[in-house]
Amino acid sequence: MISARSVRSRTVDLGERFRPQREWSEGRGLLLIIAHFLTGTGAGCWLFAVFFDLTIGLPIGLLLVIMGAIAHLLFLGRPERFWRMMTHFSSSWISRGFTGMTLFIPVAFTYLLLLYFAAEQSMIGKAILLVSLLGAAWIVVYKGFVWASSKGIPLWNTPLVPALYITYALRAGAAMLMVLLAFGAPASEVGSLEPAKLWLAVSTAVLVLIYIEVMRGSGITALRSINLMLFGRVAPLFYLGVALIGLLIPIVIGGFAYGRPVPLELLGLAALFSLLGDLSVIYCIAKAGLYRPLPM
Amino acid sequence: MRYGMVIDLKRCIGCTGCAVVCKAENATPPGVLWLRVVKQESGTYPQVRRVSVPLQCMHCAEPPCLEACPTGATFKHMNGIVDINADQCVGCRYCMMVCPYHQRFFNDGQAGYFDEGYTPFEAAGYPRHQEGVVSKCNFCLPRVGKGLEPACVANCMARARTFGDLDDPNSEVSKLIRDRGGYQLYPELGTDPSIRYLPP
Repeated sequence: MISARSVRSRTVDLGERFRPQREWSEGRGLLLIIAHFLTGTGAGCWLFAVFFDLTIGLPIGLLLVIMGAIAHLLFLGRPERFWRMMTHFSSSWISRGFTGMTLFIPVAFTYLLLLYFAAEQSMIGKAILLVSLLGAAWIVVYKGFVWASSKGIPLWNTPLVPALYITYALRAGAAMLMVLLAFGAPASEVGSLEPAKLWLAVSTAVLVLIYIEVMRGSGITALRSINLMLFGRVAPLFYLGVALIGLLIPIVIGGFAYGRPVPLELLGLAALFSLLGDLSVIYCIAKAGLYRPLPM
Repeated sequence: MRYGMVIDLKRCIGCTGCAVVCKAENATPPGVLWLRVVKQESGTYPQVRRVSVPLQCMHCAEPPCLEACPTGATFKHMNGIVDINADQCVGCRYCMMVCPYHQRFFNDGQAGYFDEGYTPFEAAGYPRHQEGVVSKCNFCLPRVGKGLEPACVANCMARARTFGDLDDPNSEVSKLIRDRGGYQLYPELGTDPSIRYLPP
């Protein structure tokens, strides 16, 4: 049942020149934020687990994608009709993403069965692995395009958003693997992953700065959104979650660990911080989204 | 055929009667306003001006909501009216994000306007709207099907609204556009809205 407060805020919003979007960032909208975080992290984790041959990340990656898919379904107003989302692959990014997830989950599950129970790797196994990699890559890629195709919200309506989301999903995947490895894998395995994660963290920081600078010059609504993020109600989470916990601390620890041994737990902690940062950035971008004002 | 509307901002007196009659005709729940009137002020005292701008779904020729909809719930009739099949909508709200005119509303509950419960009008009208789906103006399609004008047009006491076929060069809307020009909202986005405003 809708609350009277929610109705009031919605009606008040209609009188605003810069109307905030609430559907994808408040109430059940939080499930969408969590869903995008989980699916991106899971798919990134699967990709890195395959490339670095760290099998511990495979089941966790799949589990995260499944949890993300469930969060997606719970977000829907009518989840019982979810199957209909596969019908408009040609034009809708949500439909494309749903199809990618539907492809990835059973294929990845089949690959895990083969990996753990088959005597030896067959050609079919390799083909299934390849399809799972394509599915995971698709999940990493599609989310940014869902946001970027939103013409109503200038902060999202830029090609930089897909680039940002892809980088974040990859970094979150690597971070999730590091967290897993920090609790039970040999240090040598972590060592192979840390440079990749550090590189991704630095790239992400650069991308965030470029994104902010570009959007500041992309019209009055985007500027207003950026102001919300840097100086307004979203600022505390942006500085604490995105900048400090999500970027600065992981980069400092990663840089410190570059070329010299550091405790495994410290790397695990940096990776955990990266994950929190990834979740924060998705939330901040969603929360700072303002609808284009109506020109008169 | 392409139904469209011309709204003469010079004639509109901002009485919000169109918004009220839209509510009455469609029985939309609280927080769902398929039509609203925005008041805009410009200039500085003593040279000030106040304009009332009615807003509703623009029934774009190239609707971004139609492309974004993952289920095909949003569709366009042969007469150009953009509509939603509530039985197909999953309530993902993607269409709300892509609509540059923010004229779509999510119905996440059926609370009434009064604490005492539904009025007889609400009890009769709300079941027409499904919970958990998005809705919007459909140019009063049931009325148009009967040969009537949309409720907002028929009830506009200032006769600021004109409804008709944009493809017919002899229709009233085409004549108004030909004679007085008018503008669309955000033409640069390529959506080609079917509602045109005549300047005040």
